[in-house]
Amino acid sequence: MSATDITLTGMVFCFLLLLIPVLISHHLNLKLIGSTLEGAFRMTVQLAFVGFFLTFVFELNNSMLNIVWVLIMVIVASYTVLKNSQLKYSSLIIPLVTAFAVTNVGMLLYFNSFVIGLDDLFEARYFIPIAGMVIGNSLRANIVGINDFCDQIQRNESRYLSSLSLGAEKYEALKPYLRKSLRNSIRPTLANMATVGIVFLPGMMTGQIIGGSSPLTAIEYQIAIMIAIYVATVMNVMLCVLILMYRGFDEYGTFRKDMLRGA
Amino acid sequence: MKEGSKTELIRIEGVCVAAGDRSILSGFDMSIARGEKVLVKGRSGIGKTTLFRLLLGFRVPSSGILYFEGRQMDAVLAWDIRKRVAHISQDSDIGEGVVRDMLEEIFSYNANKGHFDPEKLRSLLAELSLEEDVLDKKFENLSGGEKQRIAIIISLLTKKDIFLLDEITSDLDAKLKRKVVDMFVGNPAWTVLAISHDSEWEREGVRVIDLEKLQEGAGVCN
Repeated sequence: MSATDITLTGMVFCFLLLLIPVLISHHLNLKLIGSTLEGAFRMTVQLAFVGFFLTFVFELNNSMLNIVWVLIMVIVASYTVLKNSQLKYSSLIIPLVTAFAVTNVGMLLYFNSFVIGLDDLFEARYFIPIAGMVIGNSLRANIVGINDFCDQIQRNESRYLSSLSLGAEKYEALKPYLRKSLRNSIRPTLANMATVGIVFLPGMMTGQIIGGSSPLTAIEYQIAIMIAIYVATVMNVMLCVLILMYRGFDEYGTFRKDMLRGA
Repeated sequence: MKEGSKTELIRIEGVCVAAGDRSILSGFDMSIARGEKVLVKGRSGIGKTTLFRLLLGFRVPSSGILYFEGRQMDAVLAWDIRKRVAHISQDSDIGEGVVRDMLEEIFSYNANKGHFDPEKLRSLLAELSLEEDVLDKKFENLSGGEKQRIAIIISLLTKKDIFLLDEITSDLDAKLKRKVVDMFVGNPAWTVLAISHDSEWEREGVRVIDLEKLQEGAGVCN
């Protein structure tokens, strides 16, 4: 059993739905018509490209190619995190890519070998979609975590300096901010985990059920992936904020404003 | 440390600090001996707070040299000084949350571990006319004067002997002003640098440094 193809007519009906937000935006002057159309267009092109590409990748199922593809995901994710922050690319992109790769790919390998028990750890059908889910969630959490940390440290500069003048080491003085950023970035993932199944059926589970898997298999996978996502997110955000704590301050312990874009 | 009371603790030679193209401090010299009590005066914007930031390594001079106990200022020394000096900043923005938790956090730092003395805390609270229930209030909800007194108490609890005090009596009433100045000036072993507009600090035994006058004859910065 496999899912029914959506016909071209079906797709047209689907895109027609976009008229609703467009009309609302027009009526309330939300100025979102452009973004809505652009967003839908980009999504379509990107997914079409990925659809063809993945067909090719899945047929070939070459471990090296799969690894390269996941590394590209890691790089794009790290770049997106920096793009959504006030930080300059040059000084942080390499450590960030490393942090993303170590935590997410590490989690992926653990997951494929011990949880699913695959013979081929890099099998495209598992390796690539699961990588997407884990990295995608890390990406979201990192945007929150890194922005939160940068905001806090700039807003509370004098409080941070007074901790230093009260004898704190850099790590001791920054710990309250690390704590807050971690909490803020992890909370959505945690809330997701706690409400899954009741409030929403996650995409992967829905996909598996439509694709013909039994709901029980789908649930097994969902439980496993949610734990993997949560753990990878915690490790990844933690590592990224630690990198920022290490790189973002000069030898005197003051925040390097030259790390900020436009400085 | 009887003999040490005359040794030089801090020495500043031709220090300049610039912010953009405006110069905040321009090439002045200064020497402070161990055990000395110094009042730093001068109009707003003359660089009094900047002077303290220099001593703590929060600002690096564009030229000139600072010495602390004869050692030339660098990053390693700055970290060392921060552990040796008690600094109270002007804005009293030292933390947030329940005062008791703030104290716990501060005394969890490696440099302060084991320095917390509940008896001393109690007696300092009483001496500065604070009720003990102030410890259960949120720091951000305290009045300016209460914040200043909490900051003073913290600095005294960390058991340092060098104090950099930036306007710590501005929000206190006359009686408390006198008490606080007594506390800091009274201990011969302590080195105290105070920035203040309060005349209470101008006493016998307190050397007055007027940053404005000091910089008049000073060298030029480039």
